[in-house]
Amino acid sequence: MIKAKERIITFILFCIGLLFLLPLIVTLTNSFMAEAEIALNYTSELTTFDLVDGIVEKFQQIKLIPEQVGFWQYTQVLINQPSFLILLTNSLKITFPVVLGSLIVSLFTAYGFTIWEWKYKEIVFMVYIVVMLMPLQAVLVPNYIIADILHIKDSYLAIILPGIFSPFGVFLMRQSMKVIPPAYFEAARMDGANNWYIFWHIIMPQMKSSMAALIMLTFIEYWNLVEQAVIFIDDYAREPLSVYLSRIAEGRMGLVFAASCVYMFLPFWFLMLGQKDLEKGIELSGVK
Amino acid sequence: MNRFEKVISRGKSIFDCKTKAEAARGLKSLRIHAGALFLLPGLIGFIIFYIWPFFISLGYAFWDKPVNGSFVGFKNFLDLFQNKAYLKGLGNTLRFIGISVPLNMALSLGVAMLINKLRRHKEPFSLVFLVPLVIPSGSMVSFWKSLFAYDGALNGLLRTFGIAKINWLDSSLALFVMVLIFIWKNLGYNMVLYLSGLSSIPKEYYEAASVDGAKPWQTFRHITLPHLASTSVLVLIMSIINSFKVFKEIYLITGSYPHDSIYTLQHFMNNMFSSLNYPRLTTATTILVVIIALFTQTLLRLERKASE
Repeated sequence: MIKAKERIITFILFCIGLLFLLPLIVTLTNSFMAEAEIALNYTSELTTFDLVDGIVEKFQQIKLIPEQVGFWQYTQVLINQPSFLILLTNSLKITFPVVLGSLIVSLFTAYGFTIWEWKYKEIVFMVYIVVMLMPLQAVLVPNYIIADILHIKDSYLAIILPGIFSPFGVFLMRQSMKVIPPAYFEAARMDGANNWYIFWHIIMPQMKSSMAALIMLTFIEYWNLVEQAVIFIDDYAREPLSVYLSRIAEGRMGLVFAASCVYMFLPFWFLMLGQKDLEKGIELSGVK
Repeated sequence: MNRFEKVISRGKSIFDCKTKAEAARGLKSLRIHAGALFLLPGLIGFIIFYIWPFFISLGYAFWDKPVNGSFVGFKNFLDLFQNKAYLKGLGNTLRFIGISVPLNMALSLGVAMLINKLRRHKEPFSLVFLVPLVIPSGSMVSFWKSLFAYDGALNGLLRTFGIAKINWLDSSLALFVMVLIFIWKNLGYNMVLYLSGLSSIPKEYYEAASVDGAKPWQTFRHITLPHLASTSVLVLIMSIINSFKVFKEIYLITGSYPHDSIYTLQHFMNNMFSSLNYPRLTTATTILVVIIALFTQTLLRLERKASE
């Protein structure tokens, strides 16, 4: 009875899960198709053969299995077309500094919030939370104004700097530092350890999982950058991949699946490595 | 000399110190806590990039022009509420939140409860629902486009059942496409929150209920739901915040001027950006900030009440 029930639940979840993964599976299998097959599937234009066969209306077809498996798209994207790699480096140039910078800034700031008994501490932290909850659109205007003042509007810094000081990291790190029992660092302080020592040798070892979570969440956010790119970047050659992919989808359908697969590989790999950490990050990011 | 001047003069003298120890003593006499030294760099950056420009933008909202303008009071706000594009965007955004958030909450609770019932394979199943969350929006655009296009695969499928072509992206149905993509992407986030909420309910409650012969619906109504109250408020807040992120997909699939039914607040603000209409842009931001701030404060208070 219990076993049967478990089987039914597994089956239901399997079906829903398959539906959820379908867009990914299609993108993956289609990335091994040759250009001609893609061109044939993703068009609704009628050919002479169709007319002879008496077909009057055609639709785009999403096929799961390629007729011939090949790496043609990948060699195009990764070797023959330098533009794709340039845009991939653009994405990296934005994401990497933000991930590293926000990790360092968030750890320091959160530690400050933890050890400093400041009168206005909680009020300041409340401001952090309010800004954190703002949708991107509300934050972009201030971001744009400050970029204008600092004359960095045309550089990646306009996107990177606000990312480094974003309140989310501070919030996440403080939440996870709260879990560390104060007795830990009280004891170290008794032994004459200074705050720097406590930070490196007592706090940091406990923060590994939360740091992994912050790295992943920040990476996902900036790897998937759309809004800022639309506003700050005018030059096509400096765009990140996200915006570019939606544009090549029109002209060069034959390449888009392999390009998409390369693009989603990194976040997917991170998820495989750190599913538990990501889940913990999501739990902690819930405001409490 | 008041206290402030004293602190300043001591601060100056720190820079004259010859040894590290002397400087450390100087810092102590300033009465700056070490914690402040950790906190301030981040806080200053936060103020420079978020708080300060927000107040500048707040200023713009009350002026008719950013340069050499005159103070116009609430005129910009009144004008904005006359603006058809803004009202359309605001209405659509609220409608989208109203439909997608409750639907997403219900579905993610359902999936979380199913996964929670499993004895084995809990992790791979939750992994499946987390995948859409981490996949960049740009990499799915071509799939969604060829699925929902007028000559797309979905219409092809419907045709085999003899159903006429539907214009998914260019009719009022576009809203449902938007809801579908939102749920596909965000179900995993809520699922994780609900799973952690579910795991904190003591098993004994369920055992006691089954001993008393409670029906599944009764167990759900009287044990599961009440214990998830505070989690649900949390999920509600995060869903609303996340619902603004659906703009990424919609923008990439349909561009700057989509069908009327999915022209959201974000499209409006984006288009104001390209024309650099500062007063209108900052006024819209101010309204959004006030709404979100009030709303989250109310919900957070509710959450605290629920968790007591």
